[in-house]
Amino acid sequence: MPLINMPEFSGRLLDDFAARGAMRIDTPVIQPAAPFLDMAGEDLRRRIFLTESETGESLCLRPEFTIPVCLRHIESATGTPRRYCYLGEVFRQRRDGDNEFYQAGIEDLGETATASADARAVTDAVQILGHLLPGRRLSVTLGDQAVFEAVVRALGLPAGWQKRLIQAFGNSELIKQILLRLASPQPVAGLSADMASLVRQDEAALISHIDRTMQDTGYSTNASRSPREIAARLKEKLSLAETRLDGTALLLLSEFLSLELPLADASAALAGFADAAGLSLGSALHRFQERANALAELGIDLSRITYRAAFGRPLDYYTGLVFEVSKAGDEAVLAGGGRFDRLLTLLGARQDIPAVGFSLWLDRIEKARAL
Amino acid sequence: MTITIALPSKGRMKDDAAAVFEKAGLPIVAVGNERSYRGKVEGRDDIEIAFLSASEIARELGAGTVDFGVTGEDLIREGLVDADRQVEIAARLGFGRADVVVAVPEIWLDVETMADLGDVAADFRSRHGRRLQIATKYWRLTQQFFSSQHGIQLYRIVESLGATEGAPAAGQADIIVDITSTGSTVKANHLKILSDGVILKSEACLVRARKAEHDGDPQIKGIMEAVQMAL
Repeated sequence: MPLINMPEFSGRLLDDFAARGAMRIDTPVIQPAAPFLDMAGEDLRRRIFLTESETGESLCLRPEFTIPVCLRHIESATGTPRRYCYLGEVFRQRRDGDNEFYQAGIEDLGETATASADARAVTDAVQILGHLLPGRRLSVTLGDQAVFEAVVRALGLPAGWQKRLIQAFGNSELIKQILLRLASPQPVAGLSADMASLVRQDEAALISHIDRTMQDTGYSTNASRSPREIAARLKEKLSLAETRLDGTALLLLSEFLSLELPLADASAALAGFADAAGLSLGSALHRFQERANALAELGIDLSRITYRAAFGRPLDYYTGLVFEVSKAGDEAVLAGGGRFDRLLTLLGARQDIPAVGFSLWLDRIEKARAL
Repeated sequence: MTITIALPSKGRMKDDAAAVFEKAGLPIVAVGNERSYRGKVEGRDDIEIAFLSASEIARELGAGTVDFGVTGEDLIREGLVDADRQVEIAARLGFGRADVVVAVPEIWLDVETMADLGDVAADFRSRHGRRLQIATKYWRLTQQFFSSQHGIQLYRIVESLGATEGAPAAGQADIIVDITSTGSTVKANHLKILSDGVILKSEACLVRARKAEHDGDPQIKGIMEAVQMAL
């Protein structure tokens, strides 16, 4: 079916995708809403177009392609690796810009050579934009969730704080708040002395106390959090409150988060940071280097890519690479992508399927072409 | 210009609202019989009273089909996008007080604050194979409070249209966001309010729909002042 507002360069774009070995996949415009809300969180609810089927199922107009493409892949039970591409309309409630616009992109599912798959995704995005916007300078920003996680782990912060930090990566405001709270830990409130001593002395007794209380008050002990889970977290919380936090660890973390430099120098800078701080970043650093090498082999000029250590997306299915491409000197993101190794299992795939991809904002590209 | 004021159609809210207007020198009488849904202010042919349900009042104010309404702030903030742009709270009336709160099972001994809840929510899916579920009829307020104020994204809202406080024990949801005036229903259902879990301190308000024709209108100003003076 011809779509009236399809950008005039769509045909060329699809040819470009095909030349890069991607198979076009179509997904219905009307999608079940639950996977989007589950993956991206409830905040998405006011930004998508929701409706309901006659039987009460929550449906929405496709707000993006990655989740529908992954669901289709799982459903069709085809083998991996698969290289999919898409081009079509997406629908979002936006304050600025149209509520319906076009996106296109490539998703590599099941490619186990992750460094070269990452490099290929970045290269494809940059080259495709290069073809669509000849003569314009592009600026590429790259981040890595895995490197951040490795730094947080190596700093030896208590497990509870590690989790909070990793969860917040990419949300600089939240990270700032966490660092503040880490610097001045709060005492635990709202716990009776009896309970506090029970936590310290006898975990089994605590668990059975919780279990009994739940049964007495009519809570089913398996519908939600179990007595064991509550007791374990209570214990963790008390020990966190008692931990004296190491000021140098916080300084190192802030120093790491402020790193921003050309990718050409980033591997050495990260290795230098790790050495100076006495941290072992293990395989994360190795993978980072491997990816940079793969990018160089594909002919990308690493001095033109900016590595920003604090750049990430606060969604728990992103696992490694994240990147964005825009026109130099312009904030509008023309392409965004990353590695989401956790998404397919979250959506119901039986085995782990590594995944990396990117999407192109065709409305913004069209605007940039007109300038 | 005829000014329309929407008032609650039944219950304590109806009586309390009538008392405030009486004190403001705007005594309200029903048109026709006592159960009628239309009313007027004695001696003021320029004012019409529409008796509506509290949530309808919020909606009509947003649509601008009435000039004033008396309803809970919770319904205004939940029912209208960018409420402060669409309506003005002209007076807080001092009745219908209730808080919109985040409450968790009392036995969650490790959860006292929103930060604790954030930790629990972050881990929930890996432990239980699903997101933390919140039963509420206030999805807009919940979302603003959890996402914008506390950076908590990972939860699902289960819409609940009544007896929300029973949802955790019944296994329909893990926690609730609900309205409570004394906290006694929360307690009776073995729930506790988080120490920083008060989303909104609500009460009945005289609310004005922001309409261009209100600017400089002495009738509008007069009604607002009369009610403000009566408090």
